[in-house]
Amino acid sequence: MRRHTRRIYNICYRFTGNGAEAEDLSQDVFLRVYKTLGSYRSAYGGFATWMTSVTRNLLIDHYRRTKRDRVTDSLDDAMPVVENKASSARRPDELALLGELSSQIQIALTKLSPELREAVILRDLQQLEYGEIQRTLAVPEGTVKSRINRGRIELARILQQMGVRPS
Amino acid sequence: MSSLPNWTHEEIEARLTDYLEGLLQPEEQRAFDAHISTCAQCEPLLASVSHLLTDLHSMDEIEPPPRLIYAILDKTLGPRETVTGWRAAFAWLRALANPRVGYGFASVAATFLILLSTSPGFSWRKPHLADLKPATIYRNADQRVHLVYARGTKFVSDLRVVYEIQSRLSQDDQQIPAQDRNRQQPPLKDPGQTDGTNPSSPKQQNRANGIDTNLQMLAADLPLFFERRIR
Repeated sequence: MRRHTRRIYNICYRFTGNGAEAEDLSQDVFLRVYKTLGSYRSAYGGFATWMTSVTRNLLIDHYRRTKRDRVTDSLDDAMPVVENKASSARRPDELALLGELSSQIQIALTKLSPELREAVILRDLQQLEYGEIQRTLAVPEGTVKSRINRGRIELARILQQMGVRPS
Repeated sequence: MSSLPNWTHEEIEARLTDYLEGLLQPEEQRAFDAHISTCAQCEPLLASVSHLLTDLHSMDEIEPPPRLIYAILDKTLGPRETVTGWRAAFAWLRALANPRVGYGFASVAATFLILLSTSPGFSWRKPHLADLKPATIYRNADQRVHLVYARGTKFVSDLRVVYEIQSRLSQDDQQIPAQDRNRQQPPLKDPGQTDGTNPSSPKQQNRANGIDTNLQMLAADLPLFFERRIR
């Protein structure tokens, strides 16, 4: 339970860049897993993969929901709401937890498109194999590789634009 | 030697991850290297992506807040029951129904009984409340300790005397054979003599003579017994 909580919370945090949202989403993930436990089949490739898949679906739903909010708020603010939330809603203790470079990478991650973001998170932060990512995202392996590749390049460019020099 | 295919910037970008993860074929690897070594656009990109990967892999996991697990449990299994009023005052009694609490009480009681039975001055047959006073227990324990110490001291001193006597006797035994080497063996054994040597002291000689006399008197009083034994 503790291990799964930690993993799910980390995926949610890296995707949203916000502690409070990550907490809410983690709870939603466990609630959905609890309710749909009967639909789990080992064909999904393990419980952890299935859980990650549920997490990913909820994150995409959350992204779409906040995107609608973002469009509504765009008249007042030129910057996307998610990015603002990512930078302003983060608590000081969260910032202290992340290093300076890590926090910059976290900000850059939230600027990626959701498809590329989830691919990079699963591959480079969760250290999943291509097969696991393929089952989680339910896309062909070629697509997974392509998204990871594009995500990395895009992330490196965003960091460059932010003036961040990777080590 | 075949000429290497010229890769475009787009091709290099598309195969960047394959290159970094070592998934390119040898031919592709050479073409990639050839392009990177001469391209001012792709070389920095490769370096920055490579460094980014190092940074991403070294990023620590975030520790979720402790309340998250309880929140998840509340959300999935329902909120925990909160007891109010007079039931809350006696809620702690429920904990006593736990078998662990029972074991704990039993072990404490057993420890107390063992301590009581081994405590000095307390008798189960004639229990007195005064015997359980700490001052009485201390006095009795002190008395017992002193007694044990005195006995121990006496035992050690006794042992010392015995060892001293034994060591002196063994010294005498070592000296006597050396002295007797030059002596001539006597022709006849004296009464009480067992090892072919004279008794070491007159007292021992007298004792041996006395035993011999007693045996002779006993043989005179009980002739039948001695005859049977001889047969």
